[in-house]
Amino acid sequence: MYEINGEYSGYYSEIDPKKRLVILDSLPEAGAADFAREVYNDRYSDHESKGRENIDWWLWRCICLQILYGRGNFLRRFRDKEIAGIIGELRLNDTDESHRQHLYHEYRNVCRRYLSTCKGGSYASRFMGFKQASDEEKVLKACEDVWQMSAGVARKTGNTEAMKLWVEAFRDELFAYDDICREEYTRLQEGK
Amino acid sequence: MNENRFAAAFKQNAIWLVFIIEIAIFAYFNPKFLSLPNIINISRQVSYYGIASIGMTFVILIAGIDLSIASIVVLVNVVCAYLMMNMGWNMWFAIIVSIVMATLIGVLNGFMVSTIGIPAIIATFASQTIFRGLAYILSGGLPIPDVLRYAPEAGLNGNPTLAFFARWTLNHWSIFPRTGVGLIPVCAIIMVICFAVGSFILNKSYFGRYFYAIGGNEEASELSGIRVSKMKYLIYALSGFFAGLAGIIVLSRTGSAQASSLVGFEFEVITCVVLGGVSVAGGIGHMSGVIAGVLIIGSLKSGMVMMNVSEYTQMVVQGLVLAIAVGFDCFSKKRQAS
Repeated sequence: MYEINGEYSGYYSEIDPKKRLVILDSLPEAGAADFAREVYNDRYSDHESKGRENIDWWLWRCICLQILYGRGNFLRRFRDKEIAGIIGELRLNDTDESHRQHLYHEYRNVCRRYLSTCKGGSYASRFMGFKQASDEEKVLKACEDVWQMSAGVARKTGNTEAMKLWVEAFRDELFAYDDICREEYTRLQEGK
Repeated sequence: MNENRFAAAFKQNAIWLVFIIEIAIFAYFNPKFLSLPNIINISRQVSYYGIASIGMTFVILIAGIDLSIASIVVLVNVVCAYLMMNMGWNMWFAIIVSIVMATLIGVLNGFMVSTIGIPAIIATFASQTIFRGLAYILSGGLPIPDVLRYAPEAGLNGNPTLAFFARWTLNHWSIFPRTGVGLIPVCAIIMVICFAVGSFILNKSYFGRYFYAIGGNEEASELSGIRVSKMKYLIYALSGFFAGLAGIIVLSRTGSAQASSLVGFEFEVITCVVLGGVSVAGGIGHMSGVIAGVLIIGSLKSGMVMMNVSEYTQMVVQGLVLAIAVGFDCFSKKRQAS
């Protein structure tokens, strides 16, 4: 459904922003590349103007979504307002089909970058970092994280339709990550 | 869906149900437990636990730990009393210097954990030993007594503005825990203000968001642009600050500074925080749960005293509560993973 032109596949599979920029510069100008560049600039710029470098704003927003999933329903209005803001920032309101095609792959790229951080020694560790998690525990925790920041938060806040593309992209990337993810994702969806 | 929402809300607030049941049990065995003087007394007792638990909440949220807070509280006690009693410093100036010192100890913890890379439990254990030792050196191993009686003369004499302010709010220093606005002790009001600030930091500020993010996935937080190292400095500094503030409350409550006091205080604070639902794995927890945890421990201590439970048995019970709280957290994580 969201098949992408071969020359873009390398761009969307790379997670290092600097290498991505090199690939982006090598792509033919105009059209889709303009949109990809616009998204690139949007994703890797400091929206808080704190003069920071090496920002991945969309990755940050995806962490925020997971935190918002963990919030209770107290002060729900503030949470829902923030979710609406994030939906706008992630361009989920964009209805242009070609744009949505690129956004789908950009979202998968965000998810892939998040998943790349789920293999480190401190990830999913217990007892203040004293007990390291096994590889399987890390994968299961990654599944839970990804589900919470996509399908979980969309369902909890009643944004299933508005976040459909985001949820699909994260789900597909998760299924490609490890064999046990599909089963775990289904379990989380069913609320078991 | 509604059922799920109800179940989630119940799960999130179950700790308050535990608190109500606890109150009901103690009130059943001793009707005086719910008397106004006892409620006021509990609010005084929990004030310094509550204040110290705010900093500990931040630290545990990033999957860290601060074992040095008891030593910070004791050192602040000794330093503040020493400055007023032995050096004749103004009370307010002594308080400010003591709290700044506590914050700097927190920064030192942050340096050891973040820059050197020492595991938090080892770094803060080292701090605990160092600063407890310093408190012994400064006090010569002896208590600094009569702070309540002496401080007004030492700190406020000759300064009518300060003296007026102190009379109004603190009744010459000692009043922190002994009177208050209406029936509410000032130390309880300070605790409530601190909880409000802590809650604001966690829920409404970007810093709070960073705490959750670092505790959830440190590497992803770094990649997304958070300066994790700096944030760790800030978090340990905040833990030191709140421990320092708790130290001032303790000094005003006891009226004497003693280097050998508050042994095991850090574990009581950890119990409050973990009991309140803050996960020792980091990234999960709410300030409202911590408030419930503090109230549960405060009521438990008070209730046991009223039921004439011996001090040793109280230690056993508190240890069991900590084990159950951490065990429950680990068990629920394990069950989720399986």
